[in-house]
Amino acid sequence: MIPAESYVVLSALLFVIGGIGFLVRRNVLVTLMSIEIMLNAANLALVAFNRVRFDPSAGQAFQGPSHTGQLFAFFIIGAEAAEVAVGLAIVLSLYRLRQTVRSDEADLLRN
Amino acid sequence: MFSLFPVNDYALIAVILGMPLLGAFVNGIWGKRLGDAAVKLMALTAMAVSFLAALVAFVMLADAVGAEKNEHVKLTWMAWEWMHTSGGYGGSSIPIDVKFSIDALSGVMMLIITGVGFLIHLYASSYMEGDPGYARFFAYLNLFVFSMLVLVLADNLPLLFVGWEGVGLCSYLLIGFWYENAANAAAGKKAFIANRIGDFGLLCGMFLLAHYTDSLDWNGIAHGARNLILPGEAFRVYVWPLGNGQYTGLLHFLQPAHPLTVSAATAVGLALLLGCTGKSAQIPLYVWLPDAMAGPTPVSALIHAATMVTAGIYLICRLSFVFVLSPFVMMVIAIVGASTALLAATIAVVQNDIKKVLAYSTVSQLGFMFLGVGVGAFTAGFFHVFTHAFFKACLFLGAGSVIHAMHARIHDDVDAQDIRKMGGLRKWLPWTHITFAAATAAIIGLPFTSGFFSKDEILYRAFVDHTVSPVTAAHSFVPPGWIGPLLFWIAVLAATLTSFYMCRVYILTFWGDFKGWTVGRPSLLATQEAEHGGHDDHGHHHDDLTTPGYPPHESAWQMTVPLMVLGLFSLFAGFLNPGFHLLKPENKPMDHWLEPVFKEASEHAVLFGHGNDEAWAEHMEWPLAACGFLAFAIGSALAYYVYVRKNGEPTKRLAEAAPGLYQLVLDKWRVDELYDATVLAAVDSLADTSAVVDRTIVDGILARLTSMIVAASGTVLRALQTGVVQVYAATMVVGIAFIAWFFAAPHASYTLTDSGNDDYVVTAAPGVGYGYRWDSDGDGTPDKPSFGADSTLKLHLAPGKDVTVNLEVKNAFGLVKKAAIHVARPNAPVSQL
Repeated sequence: MIPAESYVVLSALLFVIGGIGFLVRRNVLVTLMSIEIMLNAANLALVAFNRVRFDPSAGQAFQGPSHTGQLFAFFIIGAEAAEVAVGLAIVLSLYRLRQTVRSDEADLLRN
Repeated sequence: MFSLFPVNDYALIAVILGMPLLGAFVNGIWGKRLGDAAVKLMALTAMAVSFLAALVAFVMLADAVGAEKNEHVKLTWMAWEWMHTSGGYGGSSIPIDVKFSIDALSGVMMLIITGVGFLIHLYASSYMEGDPGYARFFAYLNLFVFSMLVLVLADNLPLLFVGWEGVGLCSYLLIGFWYENAANAAAGKKAFIANRIGDFGLLCGMFLLAHYTDSLDWNGIAHGARNLILPGEAFRVYVWPLGNGQYTGLLHFLQPAHPLTVSAATAVGLALLLGCTGKSAQIPLYVWLPDAMAGPTPVSALIHAATMVTAGIYLICRLSFVFVLSPFVMMVIAIVGASTALLAATIAVVQNDIKKVLAYSTVSQLGFMFLGVGVGAFTAGFFHVFTHAFFKACLFLGAGSVIHAMHARIHDDVDAQDIRKMGGLRKWLPWTHITFAAATAAIIGLPFTSGFFSKDEILYRAFVDHTVSPVTAAHSFVPPGWIGPLLFWIAVLAATLTSFYMCRVYILTFWGDFKGWTVGRPSLLATQEAEHGGHDDHGHHHDDLTTPGYPPHESAWQMTVPLMVLGLFSLFAGFLNPGFHLLKPENKPMDHWLEPVFKEASEHAVLFGHGNDEAWAEHMEWPLAACGFLAFAIGSALAYYVYVRKNGEPTKRLAEAAPGLYQLVLDKWRVDELYDATVLAAVDSLADTSAVVDRTIVDGILARLTSMIVAASGTVLRALQTGVVQVYAATMVVGIAFIAWFFAAPHASYTLTDSGNDDYVVTAAPGVGYGYRWDSDGDGTPDKPSFGADSTLKLHLAPGKDVTVNLEVKNAFGLVKKAAIHVARPNAPVSQL
């Protein structure tokens, strides 16, 4: 079995990739994708911890079937879907307004 | 009837009060939409129903009085309990209820207000025709009647004050009714402010009464009035230094050697008197009333002649038992009244505006009433209120009718009121002429008219009566003997002037030839004018001054009928209280009727001078009455001689002989200018100083500096708002990193407490997953090798000793933080004092 640390390291790696992508890329669509990556990193960690916590072979007391982590991941996927729907709508509006999808040109709230 | 409206729960008062309020409400809210006809119907119905209800109430009151021989009968109605207040001398709670009562005094006032009020409403329904503010006018007028009824029917002082303020408000609104003209609005403000000064006095009087008599309703005040003249320091009011304070330091020179004190009765009386002079237009606050003539004429008749301005006299009569306790205050009232009567009469002699003459005449007549109540002749004073309401309302309405007619011809507000432009109007205004003549006869005291009886009674009483204190202490004030004759002669002089200037107005207005043909527009000859007949160009007020106008015309029946009724009362109301001791008290209905009201006042004080010598008083009656008659005869004969025989020549010569004096009197003795230069200038300079403080300190430092600081911080912080979402995200990452570092590192913070008994406790701050290791003796080696959960360390130290404790904190990440804690115990004090 793959140890939990591997999952956590992978999750952290994905999160950092997503975060750096969000910070350095200026294309709003890429920014949105970076957010997706960060959220999926969180999902991966949740699912992995749930597995470790309730794995009888890991030497811990088995307390019946519990899927809190998985359920949480599903909720996050739902929230992601909603977020993308709203986010893409905003991107569309932005494009109509400014003829661009670059986030550093969308600075109406400047100063 | 009494089963329906019992004496103690007399709900008919609600109808009397409620109808005018309803009228004001309906006309005030929906008046514009209802149209003039409906507004008129509402206002007149409200007044008529209120008057009928008042009549019924009065008849029932007379019935109840008949049953209770000579008792002070009241019909009372308690609407609701309002509030309670404390602060009384006895320490009990003082109730203030919305409670109304009708007794002999307020019953008569109530009839005057609703009766004369109805006639004036009827008159105004024609007078105000076509005015854009028709509904507003009647809403105000009805509201005024409601407020005035609250004033007279109130059973306690605070409720009276509600009505008092209400009539002040309505007066203000109606004086400034034509507010587009700045002068009218200014007159309204002047009236309001002058009344405000009086209200200050009334409030002070109310506070003092609540404190000393422990009550605010009429019965309670009467019951506790004796407290006002009790001997002892607690019952004296410190006038100087104020409230017996001490002036120290720079103000020490203000400290008098002996404090100036007055009895509580005098303080209360003077404070209430200030309120009464404001409302009843007496010296020093009379200046607002002549200016109040800026309002529509029916308002002048109702508010500024017949009802509201008599509120001050009503209050003095109502609280007569308080006023008589202080002979000094009574004397002041009489002096104020007599001097106002004379001053106003002198001004009235030279004025040319018909309403101004009547206004000063009102001030003068109010002075007579003050004189009457001031010498303790409350019935005489109040009887003059009663008769004055009729003849002065009649005079004002007659003047309104004249102005109406003149205005239709001349189309100029000032010229239409100038008596020099009138003359010969009896030809065109027969009813106005005859009623005006009747009212003039009454005010100048033509024998057997109403004014003759009421004024002569006042003159007579002024000579023979004065008030002495009910306590016979050495320091009690006794009015000097010469004051009665002095007041009498002043009043006689004022009465002479009254008959002169009233005859002058009457003669110049109605006799002789009409002088208005040439005013305003070039005219044809009078004869040609007359051929055009009685038509007028009323409907279309054009200002084409090239075509000649039509002669003046009589007013509509809505205006003449009230004049006739009031004229009749002016002539014959005097028989309700014919003067002269020849008649038995039973033949003086008014005297008899009001006797229970003033019984307490006459019990409290001895009224007759000359050692209570009734025979002397009776002996003086005919000579004094002859003086009153002579005043009438000389004044009117002089006016006849000057204005009819000599056609005004002597007055012109007199004015040319003493132009300075003439101009001074024409300018109303320049009292307004005096007030401008003293009181107003003082207030103005105070306002200027405040404005400077406001502009520099409040606006400059407080407001502008604060806003500059905010704006500067905004400018700095605004630079951080780039609008680029990645910058915000990066800032957030930095912030999260900082917080993460903060939570990841352990913190060795602690508190040191001295628990007494030489014991000290060091407590390390808690944290998630923290372990603690202590080194209690400070030698560098921990007490225990491993980290434990014990976050406290107890220490015992002898005096003068000190120790350094080492604390190590380890968190869940295995990071360790150290802290050295120095604990020192000071030496014990040397002495144990």
